[in-house]
Amino acid sequence: MLPTTFHPQNNNEAVILAPVHRVTRKDLLLWAVLLGIMGIGVYAYLTQWFTGLGVTGLNRPVYWGFYITNFVFFIGLAHSGTFISAILRLAGASWRTPLTRAAEAITLFSLPFGVGAILIDMGRPDRVMNIFFYGRFQSPLLWDITAVSLYLFSSIVFFYISLLPDIALCRDRLTEVPSWQQKMYKILALGWTGRGEQFKRLERALDNMAIFMTLLVVTVHTVVSWVFGMTVQPGWHTALIGPFFLVGAIFSGTSAVVIVLAILRRVYHMEKVLPVSLFNSLRKLLIVFTVAWLYMMIAEFLTTTYGAISDEMLVVWQKFTGDFAVLFWTMALTVFVLPLIIFLFLGKDHVGWMVVAAILINIGMWIERFLVIVPTETRPRFVSTLMEGMGSYHPSWQEIAITGSLFAGLILLYVVFTRFFPIVPIWETAHSGETK
Amino acid sequence: MAKWSMVIDLEKCVACQGCSIACRFENNTPVVGPDQALMGRAMRWNDVFPLPINADEDTGEYPNVTSRYIPRPCMHCENPPCIKVCPVGATFIDNEGIVEQNYARCIGCRFCTVACPYGVRYFNWLEPKWEAPLGEHLNPDRVEGEGVLEGPVVRPRGIVEKCTFCVHRLIKARERAEAEGRDFRADEYVPACVQTCTGKARFFGDLDDPASTVSQLAKSTRAFRVLEEVGTHPKTIYLREG
Amino acid sequence: MSKMITRRDFLKVSAVVAGSATALGALKNVVSVQAAAEIPTTLQTAADENIFASTCHLCSAGCGILVRVANGKVVKLEGNPMHPVNQGSLCPKGQAAPELLYNPDRLTGPQKRDRSTGHTSPITWDEAIQLVSQKLNDLRQAGHPEQAVLMHGDTRGQMRSFLVRFMQAVGSPNIISHESLNVAAAKLGVYLTQGIYAMPAYDFEKTNYILSFGANFLEAGSNPQRTISGYTYLRRGRATRGKVVVIDPRQGIHGAKADEWIPIKPGTDAALALGMANVIIRTGLVDADFIKNYSFGFDNIGKAKGFRDFVLDNYDPARVEQITGVPATTIARLAGEFASNKPSLALLPGKGGLLNGGFGGVYAAMAVHILNALVGSIEAPGGTMTQRNMPCVEWPRLSSDPTAKKGLATPRMDGAGSKFQLGRNAYQAVADQILDGIPVEALFLYDANPVFETPGGSRFAEAFKKVPFVVSFSSFLDESAELADLILPEPTFLERWGDDHIEGLGYPGISLYQPAVDPLYETMNTGDFLLKVAETMGGPVAKAFPWKSYQEVLQFRLENIGTDWKTFKELGVWFTPGYRFARRGSQKWVNEIVGVDRLNAPRDGYFDLYSRELYCFLGKMKKDELATLGITMTGDGTSLPHYEETNYAGDEATYPFTLNVITLMSLGPRSEAANMPTLQEISGMTVGETWSSWLEMNPESASKLGLRDMDPVWVESPFGKVNTKVRIVKGLRPDVVNMPFNQGHSAVGRFARGRGVNGLKLLNPASEPLSGLAAFTNTHVKVRKS
Repeated sequence: MLPTTFHPQNNNEAVILAPVHRVTRKDLLLWAVLLGIMGIGVYAYLTQWFTGLGVTGLNRPVYWGFYITNFVFFIGLAHSGTFISAILRLAGASWRTPLTRAAEAITLFSLPFGVGAILIDMGRPDRVMNIFFYGRFQSPLLWDITAVSLYLFSSIVFFYISLLPDIALCRDRLTEVPSWQQKMYKILALGWTGRGEQFKRLERALDNMAIFMTLLVVTVHTVVSWVFGMTVQPGWHTALIGPFFLVGAIFSGTSAVVIVLAILRRVYHMEKVLPVSLFNSLRKLLIVFTVAWLYMMIAEFLTTTYGAISDEMLVVWQKFTGDFAVLFWTMALTVFVLPLIIFLFLGKDHVGWMVVAAILINIGMWIERFLVIVPTETRPRFVSTLMEGMGSYHPSWQEIAITGSLFAGLILLYVVFTRFFPIVPIWETAHSGETK
Repeated sequence: MAKWSMVIDLEKCVACQGCSIACRFENNTPVVGPDQALMGRAMRWNDVFPLPINADEDTGEYPNVTSRYIPRPCMHCENPPCIKVCPVGATFIDNEGIVEQNYARCIGCRFCTVACPYGVRYFNWLEPKWEAPLGEHLNPDRVEGEGVLEGPVVRPRGIVEKCTFCVHRLIKARERAEAEGRDFRADEYVPACVQTCTGKARFFGDLDDPASTVSQLAKSTRAFRVLEEVGTHPKTIYLREG
Repeated sequence: MSKMITRRDFLKVSAVVAGSATALGALKNVVSVQAAAEIPTTLQTAADENIFASTCHLCSAGCGILVRVANGKVVKLEGNPMHPVNQGSLCPKGQAAPELLYNPDRLTGPQKRDRSTGHTSPITWDEAIQLVSQKLNDLRQAGHPEQAVLMHGDTRGQMRSFLVRFMQAVGSPNIISHESLNVAAAKLGVYLTQGIYAMPAYDFEKTNYILSFGANFLEAGSNPQRTISGYTYLRRGRATRGKVVVIDPRQGIHGAKADEWIPIKPGTDAALALGMANVIIRTGLVDADFIKNYSFGFDNIGKAKGFRDFVLDNYDPARVEQITGVPATTIARLAGEFASNKPSLALLPGKGGLLNGGFGGVYAAMAVHILNALVGSIEAPGGTMTQRNMPCVEWPRLSSDPTAKKGLATPRMDGAGSKFQLGRNAYQAVADQILDGIPVEALFLYDANPVFETPGGSRFAEAFKKVPFVVSFSSFLDESAELADLILPEPTFLERWGDDHIEGLGYPGISLYQPAVDPLYETMNTGDFLLKVAETMGGPVAKAFPWKSYQEVLQFRLENIGTDWKTFKELGVWFTPGYRFARRGSQKWVNEIVGVDRLNAPRDGYFDLYSRELYCFLGKMKKDELATLGITMTGDGTSLPHYEETNYAGDEATYPFTLNVITLMSLGPRSEAANMPTLQEISGMTVGETWSSWLEMNPESASKLGLRDMDPVWVESPFGKVNTKVRIVKGLRPDVVNMPFNQGHSAVGRFARGRGVNGLKLLNPASEPLSGLAAFTNTHVKVRKS
């Protein structure tokens, strides 16, 4: 019987498909650990569900804390994939191809946790449908919901259609996997044959979607920032907050890609498929982002401190020398100083250092999100914070556990995915196309 | 249509907190207990506190120390930042200028609480509780209709609540006038804090009526609004000391 | 080359323009807020609603209240607009009163306590009545009715005279008021000068200038609501705005609101007042008519030095500056303003605040009141008034009863009038007297919690052990009731009949307590209880009380107030508005205003600048005799107001701070208020504390001790130490620290117990030897980080 499907030839096919062949005991162990962490988070959430948000360290005037930080962070993380595959696709940067899927997977899997963080933060999750019954488009939160859901939906489509040829490949090549898995490939492949116009159409669809996704990526994180920027609170109410968030998002997203790639490379022995040159390309990008982020930072703080409006300065001092000084300077170190040193002097051809820098950047960016949100709240303009427990924020174990479980969930989805689908796009990295 | 407004003369206010507590018993705000109160989760729709709220601000050195106190109900802004940001329309301004909260619709996202520059909005972190028989004193008034729940009715946890200028008193006064077959007059209605004020520092009335006390006082050279520069146009107006 | 605009182009441009306009319109919707459409809501409320006019009992102001009762529950209190003291206003204590009524820690019925085990067991009211009447009859049969002692708090209205009558019928002179803890110093100051033993009422409404000597008149004092109303009227209720100067080591609310705050060295108010008198006399700004015709002792009297020369010789502003720390120029300026902006008013402290722990405190009160005399503000518009009371129907005469007569002839057990020659009540000294061996067989506590509210209150716990029969009428198991043998809870003021004289306005008035709801528990109005006791006791005591219920007593006594019972019940208050000033020197002046209460000196209508009453006690005393009374002055000076250096407990080197225990607007003076959760919550508003106590300290002093805001500290005096939290307060003298009163309960209930510490534990428990006053401000403390 003739093979009905055409698959572009890829010399690395075996290496890329290797992880998909079987689930190891180690995998199961890792999944169990991650599920365990999520279990703690679920338990924490149940205590919150039954007792109320009172179990958190949130208070008056710090109404938003870890949960909203996670929301912003995860949405930011989600910008990795779109940036790599959409923006770089438009820019024609062909070196990106091996890492597109790994990056998009981060997008896809972090978005639900961003959305989840918002739901966890709600005082009345049982009334979530009110957003659809009574949604008001004047509220930036509605802009957010619209943008994020559109982003999630588009990302799924973008991710899925670019996955099609590889699902078909799995369908055809992976004969030893359990029958349910084969069935899954068969259904998900949507009868892909790779023949005729299919690849051409796929490329065209992806190109067109890339334009849309690029617009969306800019919109989404700007809109996320506007949740803060649209209020009249010191430290939030600045026009720069949109671009600032956007740069931060792409920055942390791209760094996350470095981490993921390095792990995949090591664990799944993909040194050849994911060459060091990839890291060098990412290094260049990250140098640009580090500097761009610094530029944003200077623009923001110089404007604020030069004008020195007293309400604004209270928040600035909270960050520079006040309750958040340790976090703030840690953030400056981990997001700018150390990464830049590593990128410039140590990172070239050295995956290890790149990973160190990327991890530092992501820790720093999480802190940065926290610092955008909380210090402003601790220095309200008309709430007396004379009381010992006021004007500060100490997260409870529930908030920490839930934060941990969000990360665990992201990792779990990711590792499970890599065991069932090729994480490097085989067709995009193929060496030949179909000969007519 | 009236435009309800409150004027508070800081010279006559002696920071007794009678307003805070009148509000509590009129509107059923719970006592949250020592640990919660220390965290700042106390529920006083009408709070009283010393000024400046920022300890770094210069208040002079001993013995030339300036100490001020301010009572703070909702400002009932004409351009309320809280309403703009509410994703579900749970907070709204009625056509008489009172900013109200629909307890039946609020989803507890706390966007309004962070958006309000005055900190007048309170979130129910925990289920409100009254140790028996303390709950006996709860005000039975309840404003309800078409998916709206307002008034002193005890709020469930997880939602935001705030000063309503005792809107149930307005409804009551209107109903009374109607029952007696006469027109409702603006002076038939005052919120609980205004009624109890020990220093008679509070005035309440219709800002649209140029003859009303609040209109007259709003023209005073002592009159100011808190954070005027933010563009919220508060209808709670203060008169400076001295 | 021109290009024709095609229809298509036109449409494109139009579309863009229209689109932009729509976008702009949409933007308007984004940036502004529209009023919601009218929502058809309906109001649901209680089926059954009632309003009762009554009186608040949570501080000594006695404000009129309107109690809203919905479906049989008290849901809200409002001020009674008819009541002249509060005129519709109500402070946080009154507003929170439903928490008193529905407090989970209320006593639900009479109890008997077994001393050996400490356990209490419920008894019936009949048993209680039996036990008490048996005890009193036993005492009477033993011929010692005076061994029954009643201590009471701020009990006014008919209950005060009812209790007096009851004790008199039993035959005991020992009815001891708590006034020695608060207003007695000021009352003595007025007594020794003006010759009446009463707090003056102040005509705030007409005065132009107020000098407040530690009269914490916006937070506490004897009638805070009255002084708040008066103050705000003075400031903004009339065309001209009066000036207010506050003299107090602590700024507090009144200092913050005043035009000037003078942080005086504690215990030196006498010197400041006399320094101002010096300026007023020198500049000739005295009210010459008053001084010449209606006062005694301005000029020298024979060889004796008069007030003028005494003050001119001794109280030059420069010297006063040395004593008080107030600049001489300020003294001169304030004195000039005070005397030239008449009518002006000097306020006496409503509590022990001014008292420097020795008799110097009384001298200070005299000096302050003399300032009023110098500017002619005694019994004058814009000055002081003399409180008149509603005429009540006289009690029927007690039938002659030899047992009672014998008992009543014994000296008072608290030493007032004997050990403390000038004292009228020595509340805190009761413990010492009992411990010193004065026999007390039965001790009744009405509205009184001496174990908590006196300096060194633990002595009462000791003293109670020596009294075989201690009875408390408290509605809560407070620190004193915990040690009582019988606990006979009275219902709260919202469930019982009672009344109150209206004070602070000068003119007479009566305010009614009536039950807004039926008593929640098996409690009994103490009036009703004592009527039953009297009935059970039989004999002359029963005969003295022919009434069936306490409500009947009220109706009997208030027969002639000018209205019928029904109207009175409806309004809750009745008064004769408009104070009528007595003309100087008139018969009314002599009979009611000046000198009428004097016991030894002539009741001649002369205001004493040189106290003749005091001369009768001290005039002939030798230096060493005076020294035992803590008075360093000798000769004529002892009868003239003068500055006596405070004799502090605790030397200044070891204990550098003077401790000032302050009464707060929120918690007020009554122990049960500390068990009202709402009041606990708001108690520390000025410093940002809640449900706790704290130590206020000047930032400079704190930094010297290395203390930062909110540090935990030990506060230690020679009498004890407590652990609390320091809060930095700029408006406070560096050598003074403050602690709030009414925290640190070990009993009362779940909300009060264990909240903060009781500063009174640190205070000098001694009584002033001449007057029997409690020493509130003569204790030094030290503070260190814990």
